[in-house]
Amino acid sequence: MSMERILLTSEAGPERFADYERQGGYTAWRRAVTEGRPEQVLAEIVASGLRGRGGAAFPVGKKWQIAAETPAEHKYVVCNGGEDEPGSRKDRFLLENYPHKVLEGLLLAAYAVGAHEAILYVNHQYQQAQAALEQALAEARAAGYIGPRACGSDFAIAVRLHAAPSTYVAGEDSAAVNSIEGQPAKPRQKPPYPATAGIHGRPTVVNNVETLANVPAIVRRGAAWFRSIGTTNSPGTMLFTVLEGVKRPGIYELPFGTPLRYLYEACAGGLADDRPLKAILPGGPSSGFLTPDALDLPLDYQAFREAGSALGCGVMTFYPEGTDMVDVVLQIAEFFARESCGQCPKCQFETQQLLRILQLVKAGKATRAALAMVDKVIEQSRGQGWCSLINMPGPPLTSALRLFPEDFARYLTNGGSPAAR
Amino acid sequence: MFEQEKARLVLVCQNVDCLARGADKIIRALEERLSGEEGVEVKPYMCFGACQDGPNVVVYPDRAFYSHVQLADVDDIANHAKGGPAVQRLEEGVDPSLKALIFELLDAGLV
Repeated sequence: MSMERILLTSEAGPERFADYERQGGYTAWRRAVTEGRPEQVLAEIVASGLRGRGGAAFPVGKKWQIAAETPAEHKYVVCNGGEDEPGSRKDRFLLENYPHKVLEGLLLAAYAVGAHEAILYVNHQYQQAQAALEQALAEARAAGYIGPRACGSDFAIAVRLHAAPSTYVAGEDSAAVNSIEGQPAKPRQKPPYPATAGIHGRPTVVNNVETLANVPAIVRRGAAWFRSIGTTNSPGTMLFTVLEGVKRPGIYELPFGTPLRYLYEACAGGLADDRPLKAILPGGPSSGFLTPDALDLPLDYQAFREAGSALGCGVMTFYPEGTDMVDVVLQIAEFFARESCGQCPKCQFETQQLLRILQLVKAGKATRAALAMVDKVIEQSRGQGWCSLINMPGPPLTSALRLFPEDFARYLTNGGSPAAR
Repeated sequence: MFEQEKARLVLVCQNVDCLARGADKIIRALEERLSGEEGVEVKPYMCFGACQDGPNVVVYPDRAFYSHVQLADVDDIANHAKGGPAVQRLEEGVDPSLKALIFELLDAGLV
């Protein structure tokens, strides 16, 4: 298996402009815009099988095709750095350390779909990332990569930064579109999707930071090279953020198909103090919990879906024996209740009812009948919101109830285990 | 276990939407009308999931789900809580499956 890295290629801190150029940076952009055609860039991305790294894993080529084929005088591309997934640091890390890689990916996206305006939408709290991007923009402008005649071609491209609020829903693509238009960063009802009607009703491609950082290498080295890394269903590599409780917290880039055990043991070093593993939350707070036997799963979208969970945007949390899963799901429920933006009644209802049920469980005031309402509340809400947040509180909670029933039973006021309080 | 439950609860949604439609005035008015009333308690509720039909008030265990409640309706609701007839004109509109779920939640102790 090739352990080649595509994203984290610098061994010596942040990648500087000169280093990036020396390693072939902006070659893809220069050649595309001076010798190539937009269709060629688009075809390469379609053939690469690259999927979005923001959590939904939507095929990037398909999104670009939709925007490219939608007739419009003005189109936009947006680099979505509105990352506020609890525990995720990978987009911030890329923006701070590889700003040119992300920027070149954004330029290539603009060229492929015919957009002349590109926006870097970045969490306003990521000040170091904003500074790195400002500098990268200045360097790229001075080098002639950005401007009314990019690289001396007749392709005009303007790029600007837009500060994103640090709420969870602000990272949703249509919320980014709203924010860039000057409206509150809340999701829109879809369809239409931004790719057909985004900023000011015009076709808008919104891609995650990590997604775009993959683009320059794909265009330069080709889809076949990209597909030689990873698996058939999930080509390339993915960044995994492992921060809590492990011996070597960090952001790790691994090819798809690598066993989860490799990430857990070889990269992260296992749990601190060699505590035995109880549970894994592999894709952030909206994914389902898994038990330690999942360590033998390959890191691959499909394998994790089949196991009843998801890779999401690669935030991995490992929980030691002795963890009270009621505390963990209570914290997750608090998060979703807080971050539900309030536009959709069913989402407010669901997130607050689930939180209330768990609060009563934790307080020792819930019956088994109260806990059984979890499934009904989730069922009543499924798909009833404008964005996917409404579908997020379910998987962690229902999987925890299925895998760790004894953690809940001991708090119940009736019908609990022999150890009931 | 030894806490004496009130015989009748008047639950008034105090979530964002209902508040924007005046639910704060509704709960104050109901508290005023029902203060000192034996066996009746007026309580705020987090969300009934029927925001577009708010302000929403539920009288429990009578299984009355009142929507689009206005200040002018408060006397009739208070009267119901004191043992009078239910206010039928306020019971239209809310999705029956949502109503059923709400009462099931309340029956399960999620008050």
